Amino acid sequence: MATAEVLAPLDQPDDEPSGPRRGKLSPLARYLLTRLALLIPMVWVLVTMVFLLMRVIGDPIQAALGGRLTADQIAERKADAGLDRPILVQYWEYLTGLFRGDFGTTLTDNRKVSDILVQNGAATLELAFWSIIVAFVVGVPLGRLAARYRDRWPDVLLRLFSILVYAAPVFFVGLLLKLAFAPFGWPSSGRASISNELILQDVHPKTNIMIIDAILWGDPAIIGDVLKHALLPALALGLLTGGVFLRLVRVNLLQTLRMDYVTAARARGISERRVMNKHAFRNALVPVVTVMGLQIALLLGGAILTETTFEWKGLGYQLSEYLIKRDFLAVQGIVTLIALIVGAVSFFIDVIVAFVDPRVRF
Amino acid sequence: MRNFRRGTAIIAVTAMAGVALAACGSGKSSDDSASGSGVLVGTTDKVVSIDPAGSYDNGSMTVQTQVYQYLLNFPAGSTELTPDAAESCDFATPTTYVCKIKPGLKFANGNELTASDVAFSFKRIVDIADPSGPSSLLGAMKSVEATDDSTVTFTLNAPNDQTFPQILVTSAGPIVDEETYPADKVLDDDAAVKANGFSGPYTISKYSKNQLAEFKANPDYAGTYGKPKTKTVTMKYYAKPENLKLDIKNKDIDVAFRSLTPTDIADLEKAKGLNVVTGAGGELRYITFNLTTMPGDSAEQKRAIRQAMASSVDRAELAKQVYKDTYTPAYSMVPDGQAGATEAFKDAYGDAPDKAAAEKILSDAGVKTPVTIKLQYNPDHYGSSSDQEYNAVKRQLEASGLFKVDLQSTEWVTYSEEYNADAYPVFQLGWFPDFPDADNYLSPFLAPYDTEKKKSGNFTNSHYNDEATEFADPTMTKLLDDERTDGDKASREATLKKIQDRLASEVPYLPLLTGSQVAIGVDGVKGLQDTLDASFKFRFTSLSK
Repeated sequence: MATAEVLAPLDQPDDEPSGPRRGKLSPLARYLLTRLALLIPMVWVLVTMVFLLMRVIGDPIQAALGGRLTADQIAERKADAGLDRPILVQYWEYLTGLFRGDFGTTLTDNRKVSDILVQNGAATLELAFWSIIVAFVVGVPLGRLAARYRDRWPDVLLRLFSILVYAAPVFFVGLLLKLAFAPFGWPSSGRASISNELILQDVHPKTNIMIIDAILWGDPAIIGDVLKHALLPALALGLLTGGVFLRLVRVNLLQTLRMDYVTAARARGISERRVMNKHAFRNALVPVVTVMGLQIALLLGGAILTETTFEWKGLGYQLSEYLIKRDFLAVQGIVTLIALIVGAVSFFIDVIVAFVDPRVRF
Repeated sequence: MRNFRRGTAIIAVTAMAGVALAACGSGKSSDDSASGSGVLVGTTDKVVSIDPAGSYDNGSMTVQTQVYQYLLNFPAGSTELTPDAAESCDFATPTTYVCKIKPGLKFANGNELTASDVAFSFKRIVDIADPSGPSSLLGAMKSVEATDDSTVTFTLNAPNDQTFPQILVTSAGPIVDEETYPADKVLDDDAAVKANGFSGPYTISKYSKNQLAEFKANPDYAGTYGKPKTKTVTMKYYAKPENLKLDIKNKDIDVAFRSLTPTDIADLEKAKGLNVVTGAGGELRYITFNLTTMPGDSAEQKRAIRQAMASSVDRAELAKQVYKDTYTPAYSMVPDGQAGATEAFKDAYGDAPDKAAAEKILSDAGVKTPVTIKLQYNPDHYGSSSDQEYNAVKRQLEASGLFKVDLQSTEWVTYSEEYNADAYPVFQLGWFPDFPDADNYLSPFLAPYDTEKKKSGNFTNSHYNDEATEFADPTMTKLLDDERTDGDKASREATLKKIQDRLASEVPYLPLLTGSQVAIGVDGVKGLQDTLDASFKFRFTSLSK
């Protein structure tokens, strides 16, 4: 991939002094500040687009409450929600609301969007975490295997597998998994069995991240139950990213193996296993971390379908519910939240990459 | 870089350990319903709000039925009102309805339940007037006040309004705690659970909105429903019907109540260890005619076209082919099972398509055939089978050779605006009653109104009994007034029959199907049949296993 071509091997000596110079910011600090500065316009563009798109698709009050209220009542609701004011005034109020952490209130059930984040965001976070693990566990070793057997039948099969899991719609994979596992009693919906969910409501402090709550409760049977419930949704969503990781690791590994320093290592008589493990494989993994940041957005998008398929009541599930009810104020709030999460995660990944790979900060 | 390898190893080991730990369990979770003493109920309904001021929907009503008391209520299997929190209720004068509250009633939080709480509960619904709330149900109420600690007096807009006692059992009727519910806004669900201002047969012990709710029997409850047969009932809320189906099929839950597709229900009927229970139906599916825009050169021709359509549809086929008999043919706007219901359309047009009769009606009125009907239906508001239903209606009408149907569909947001703007000459609508009384199937459709003066009345915009048009019907208006104010059961039912006969003659609406309530229980679950009655209240108190 292009990323790998740009990057030089990490094991090569670094001629540049990496420590901070007196009176100047260190390269790392400069890099992070630049990234942070770029984050602000990115988030601004995102939230502005969400705001404009929600206005383009029509009047949210009419969409949510049309047919249930008279024209006068609709007009009253519009005034209450400030939708009768000039668009610039609405935009200003929307932005200042975001600064205050106010993402608005849903039209159909009067919930604060920030409350939805607290109650449902943790579920999405947990699903994304399990999915990334699946993606790593599936993508990295299989990518390595494919590179090792380049153009032989294991490679061909694995490349085909990666295309299949990437191309297959996540709800379809989810449905297949349910049909395959449910007859054997494997749980196919929810985040834990009903009685365990009830038990975990008593955990203090409650994180809403089911596995952490289960660990805090300390019953191995409940931990096992939570893991069992997470397996199918994590597989459905994780395989999507796993396919990307597989191809990425394969291509990067093949390119790294052709580089001069690897040839030099081989010339020094270092064993092929050591060349692969110590010199090539680690470098091939760096772009995976970068791509992982991009995949977060994909995961959150996929979470809408995965959460609905598996009754995983996270942000994606709530978003689909409000879309069905045409509660566009709720949709606006949740999409803005997701946009902010994607922005924050991108920044976080940039920070990790900067620490892992010193070249990016120069 | 070493950290990378270590990290990957940790992730792999964690995942493998997790799967291994999970696999250590039995094939099913250790804590499935079978091992618990309570009943697990699954539904796809959603709770909009536990607070009665903020909701008017099935999901919220199911919760409210369990946790709030009403002044009057329906005991299992009956549509006769009996006192619940009230000791007695009656008309003191033609326009005042007075209820005496039972002494010693308390909310689960220890606060006393007095007449003041009752008056507060009704007033705040009107004052808050939440768009998702039931304030529209209280249009008959002029005012309400607590005249002393145990007496509530309702002043009504119309004298002897026999439907008002029924309103007290609807979504507008739950009694809330004045000390914990705000007068001017809807209380959010978590706060409502925390406030514990419940005096119904159950309280809510654990609650996660639209995910899980655990109900515990309220030991202090002494109302219409009697002592709960099960101490703990847990409600699980599903996003998709197929997950609900899968869980009831695997017996991970004990009861599935609302809403499985007809195909799913038919499939579950064949499954071992499950019982499909059906009860009285309340939902009505019907065709509405916009009398001003429908085909026909005169009022007589328009009526003839409507009557000919009534002679050409095959309701039994719709029920069987489309809804797998989870719906039954409706031969009146008042469904079978309601007091005063008749089969007026069957009497007038038979129970099967009659081409000769339809042809004669059209010919007598001088209508040229085939008549082109622009028939609109909605694919996203009345269930996913509307598509099949209206394609079948089109086929049936065209099979007579008398009609050519131009079938069109529109999504609900636009649909709800356009049918109110006279855009559709013939169109689909559906109805779920507010309370189990024949009037609730008649007045909302037949009451007089005036579109020019924006006088409220008929909500369908059919222009039937529109006083500003030639379709005003003073006879119907008189009949409706008579039945609403008639306290004598027999003479009221006689009036109801006259209304239904007139409706079948005028055909401003063409009733097609009425939906049965369906619940699926695993073997050993008792009481489902008791709660699927014509009161349309799903009572946990009846359930046991």
